Amino acid sequence: MMINNRIVKRIYTNKTSLLGLLLVAFFLLVALFAPVLAPVENPNNPYQLPQKSYQIAPQPPSAQNWFGTTEQQYDLYYGVVWGTRLAFKIGLTVTFFAFLIGLFVGGVAAYFGGKIDEVLMRLTDIVFAVPSLVLAMVIAAMLGPDIKNMMIALTAVAWPSYARLVRGDILSVKQRDYVTAARTLGARGPRILLRHILPNAIYPSVVVASLDIGYVVLTAASLSFLGLGAQPGTADWGQLIAMARNWVLGTPGHPFAYWYTVVAPGGAIFMFVLGWNLLGDAFRDILDPRQA
Amino acid sequence: MTAPVQIKNLFKTYTRRRWLGKNWEKPVLKDISLTLEENHVLGLVGESGCGKSTLCKVLLGIEKPTAGQVWADGKEVAVLSKSEFKKLRRVMQVVYQDPYSSLDPRMTVRQILSEPLDIHGLKKNPQERNTFLKELLASVGLSDSLLGRYPHEFSGGQRQRICIARALALNPKILVADEPVSALDVSVQAQILNLLKEIKKERHLSMIFVTHDFAVARFLCDDIAVMYQGRIVERAPAEELFENPQHPYTKALLAAVPSVCAPQTEEAVVSQEWPERKDWACPFAARCPYAQEKCAQKPFELNEIFPRHACACGVRPFATEKKSA
Repeated sequence: MMINNRIVKRIYTNKTSLLGLLLVAFFLLVALFAPVLAPVENPNNPYQLPQKSYQIAPQPPSAQNWFGTTEQQYDLYYGVVWGTRLAFKIGLTVTFFAFLIGLFVGGVAAYFGGKIDEVLMRLTDIVFAVPSLVLAMVIAAMLGPDIKNMMIALTAVAWPSYARLVRGDILSVKQRDYVTAARTLGARGPRILLRHILPNAIYPSVVVASLDIGYVVLTAASLSFLGLGAQPGTADWGQLIAMARNWVLGTPGHPFAYWYTVVAPGGAIFMFVLGWNLLGDAFRDILDPRQA
Repeated sequence: MTAPVQIKNLFKTYTRRRWLGKNWEKPVLKDISLTLEENHVLGLVGESGCGKSTLCKVLLGIEKPTAGQVWADGKEVAVLSKSEFKKLRRVMQVVYQDPYSSLDPRMTVRQILSEPLDIHGLKKNPQERNTFLKELLASVGLSDSLLGRYPHEFSGGQRQRICIARALALNPKILVADEPVSALDVSVQAQILNLLKEIKKERHLSMIFVTHDFAVARFLCDDIAVMYQGRIVERAPAEELFENPQHPYTKALLAAVPSVCAPQTEEAVVSQEWPERKDWACPFAARCPYAQEKCAQKPFELNEIFPRHACACGVRPFATEKKSA
């Protein structure tokens, strides 16, 4: 009860957190009501973009296609709406599994220490040593272009930062006097781990995770843009931008002739990432017990 | 009747294994023998790094002794089974030095004080527990309206009161206080010391009180052991120690206690220059102005020189002072 009041108060008093909350809430509503906002035309695969015709050149916004159409007459409005649902799916799934793996690896490393710690941490160092986008590209390319494979690739590059963070936080919390105090009160391992160490060590990672959701979607869009994620015709923001690749420069003399091909999906990505970033900052403040 | 705490020939060496080369070893406690008597406060006094806190850790069973025995409440701490160990927790509790890091920042005072009861399955009835927690807070001089607050909302002195309350929740017989006032302001120190004295009297506690401050020790302790580099160099009832210090190190520490009333007449007793000689056997000899040839031969044992007064110095430059005084 008390913590709820605190969160509400905190978010309302800070305008940027409120903006973040509104943005994320807006996207969440769009994702939830996607079937209402953009009725499905292919029930077997709602993420399949409806194709109006096979004409190549994109068409500007009209009464039928509110955001216009992109290459090969895929409806941009449908793509942005269902792309929101896909963005949440990718962002939340990847962050959740990366967080879980990181928590497990970091927790095991910190708890057992010694050689296990050494091996696990050097493993994370190896993943860290390769630029994450490049590594994700390699993994996605090896597994084949598919949304599921892209998510595996993103998880594979995202977990080490959590592992490192969790390990460091556990090690520092383990040394604090209140952990020793709990032990001298007679508490055993599980209680100390669950009641004292994890609650105090996990929050930095939760904050990073909330910031990461936006970043994961951004990276997913990059992979899709490079042809390593969603297939052409999928309602994926990155894929929509990829389909605009031939048209972003416009026609000679009219550089913005096909502006609508990037504005809608690009704007969606931008607002989505911005929303999660602002919300992540708000989480950081809220989860700090000193900020009452 | 057994003494609440008895320590016999305790050694503790920290070892760090290395992948390559020799293991790193640091002897921290050397041949410590001590007895805490029933209803007494035993002060452990010494400078930083002399092993006071390690001694507490070994006594509490957080660290294992390298050699020697530690008995608490008649049981040998190092060989207890897990369930026996848990029982010992109800008898012996601890207050730590830093009131800022010894309370979990994510727990309310109620949760902090409930934890020992939860662990040992005591006072399960919510009403009974509530009354108990309120009484507990009152006994350390805090209002029961503070139960819902978080530690960061309190001052250092209040936090230390909460720590004391947590330690008292299990109604222990022995309280180990590891420098409980050294992180506090002087005015708050006095309050906490008064509180400890009061609690000790009310609850018939036996206490081990670690400090580096002789003024604090004098106020609270019945017996005092002076530690230097992991050894006990002098041990005596408090008044005896203050009136008749025998070890040069004790004398030096006493001379270093700042006093507002009396002007400092004695010159500093610890020599500032380190003699060239490095092969002293007595650990204090290198800083001792009274060091002699025999201090290089073998370390002095802790011998009783007066009744209940032991000193580990073979030179004893102040032995005659008592007679003349």
